[in-house]
Amino acid sequence: MNGKGIVFLGFRYLQRNRVKTLLLVAAFTLVWLLPSGIGLIVSRVEVQLRARAMETPLLLGQAGSPLELVFNGLYFTRPDLATLPSRELDTIAESGLASVIPLYARFSAGGHRIVGTSLDYFDFRKLTIREGRPLLWLGECVVGADVAEKNGVRPGDAIVSTPETLFDLAGVYPLKMTVVGVLESSGSPDDGAIFVDLKTAWIIEGLGHGHDEAESLGDDQRIKTVEKESSIRLNASVVEYNEINPDNADQFHFHGDLSDYPVTGAILIPADAKNQALLKGRYTAQGGLQLVSPAEEMDELFATVFSVQRFVLWLLFAIGLATILIGALVFLLSYRLRRDEFLHLRHIGADPVTLKALVAFEAAFVVLSSLVVSSLSLLVIQLAAPGVIRHFLN
Amino acid sequence: MIVVENVRFSYPSESFELRLDQLRVEAGETVALVGPSGCGKTTLMNLISGILVPAAGEIQVNGVKVGELSVAARQRFRLETIGLVPQNFELLDYLTIRENILVPFRISSSLRLSPETRDRCEFLAERSGISRHLDKFPGQLSQGERQRAALCRGLVTSPRLILADEPTGNLDPENQDRIVALLLEEAKHIGSSVVMITHDPVLLPRFGRVIDALQWRTAGGNA
Repeated sequence: MNGKGIVFLGFRYLQRNRVKTLLLVAAFTLVWLLPSGIGLIVSRVEVQLRARAMETPLLLGQAGSPLELVFNGLYFTRPDLATLPSRELDTIAESGLASVIPLYARFSAGGHRIVGTSLDYFDFRKLTIREGRPLLWLGECVVGADVAEKNGVRPGDAIVSTPETLFDLAGVYPLKMTVVGVLESSGSPDDGAIFVDLKTAWIIEGLGHGHDEAESLGDDQRIKTVEKESSIRLNASVVEYNEINPDNADQFHFHGDLSDYPVTGAILIPADAKNQALLKGRYTAQGGLQLVSPAEEMDELFATVFSVQRFVLWLLFAIGLATILIGALVFLLSYRLRRDEFLHLRHIGADPVTLKALVAFEAAFVVLSSLVVSSLSLLVIQLAAPGVIRHFLN
Repeated sequence: MIVVENVRFSYPSESFELRLDQLRVEAGETVALVGPSGCGKTTLMNLISGILVPAAGEIQVNGVKVGELSVAARQRFRLETIGLVPQNFELLDYLTIRENILVPFRISSSLRLSPETRDRCEFLAERSGISRHLDKFPGQLSQGERQRAALCRGLVTSPRLILADEPTGNLDPENQDRIVALLLEEAKHIGSSVVMITHDPVLLPRFGRVIDALQWRTAGGNA
């Protein structure tokens, strides 16, 4: 047997029948790749989701889907989540049962979620400023590493929030925010978020605004008032500022009680297990609000995912087995089709081992190529998974 | 040298039986085998080359009893000793003509593919008039060109014995003459024996001996 000659003849045959070869390699690649790829993606998703969930002890939110609350609180998705009044957060903070970090993840700018929160959030998530400084004044924002990279922004640049409803004249107007800091990449959803002070988020919503002093405005911008009314009421023609800067910062104000203002949720960090138990007991009993443990929610989610995955893997196993059998049939038919070729080689002087090696080469090449392609694909999936998962979660 | 003694062979599903009591072909001798279709010429070639094994009798090629060799040894012996030029060319359609001519070197563990063998391939292709087709595939060539490629493959290993089954069957007279000349010149140059099946009486005077195979089918015969 001439090993080099067999490889040469084998390659020439596969090259001449490249369509058949490619189809076989593709089919076998799918057989290996699909189950292992699905397993890899699920495990990656699990690692990513669990890691952030494990770091977050409790999430408080309006009653509803606990999973939606977890996704909004951890990944800033589901912006249409029902809100709760910030009064509830004050109550917990005053009780001393837990530290409270408010979250208002509802608005966005250029596809990135604007997250209204407090400075405690950065300490809690161990987020560090790569460039610039932390939040200090109204109208400022700190952006995640991905936001800075994708939009090419750095401290001193501006980001404009996306209006919620384009044709709603009474809706949320865009607010031009000054970027004061860029976060170090953390490989988490924080990289794709724009962080603002909670009050800035409320200004984006229109709950707070700024305009010229009412006394300095003309009659055309006032609503006719009854003589005895001491306050001045302005009409809609008053131009509101769409940017907060040192010159107009003093003009920004909020109407009504701030404790009524909304948040989408809050991260609660109980001091100890006893406080955590007390909090859980309180909010299990209390209607209207829910207190969830993200880790427990993820356990439930993945219990469902894994049972579905098991079913899918059995299905893929059956399909894979069928594909392998069809592949074997193709090799068998190919052997029959090549009978003349092998007869010719035998007449020239090829020994039986050489002929068997030629048949084995084709099968080995297809199987090994498909293993190589599927391994490379798995590597690509492994490398791309974190970014892709983050993209889908956002 | 070929020695055939008391050979009997029959195909399982056919009534045909080859009976050959004696045949000797000396080293360097050139023999033309003639006879009507079905009289056993190709069968004899297959027996001599070890593709078939006789039911009885003995065949020696260069002193080696072919029938007594194992399958693998017989294949190796054929590859190293015999240049076979089959009637139906037996070219591999996924190899170029050059690769087809050199295929014995790809399947043999003892024959070595060297620059000299490549030169010999070019030389034989040039002599047989197919040098411009060396990089084409068999399907792109005419029957006659394919037949010449098969002849080149049979000669490329410089074998001690050349068995050619109607190598001029698909050729025009000019190419017939050219191919037989090449075959005989190469055989003389290498010192090989040649056994060639032909139906063309014009070619017979060019061979040292002519054997009529008709007698083998019905009864035993000597040659």
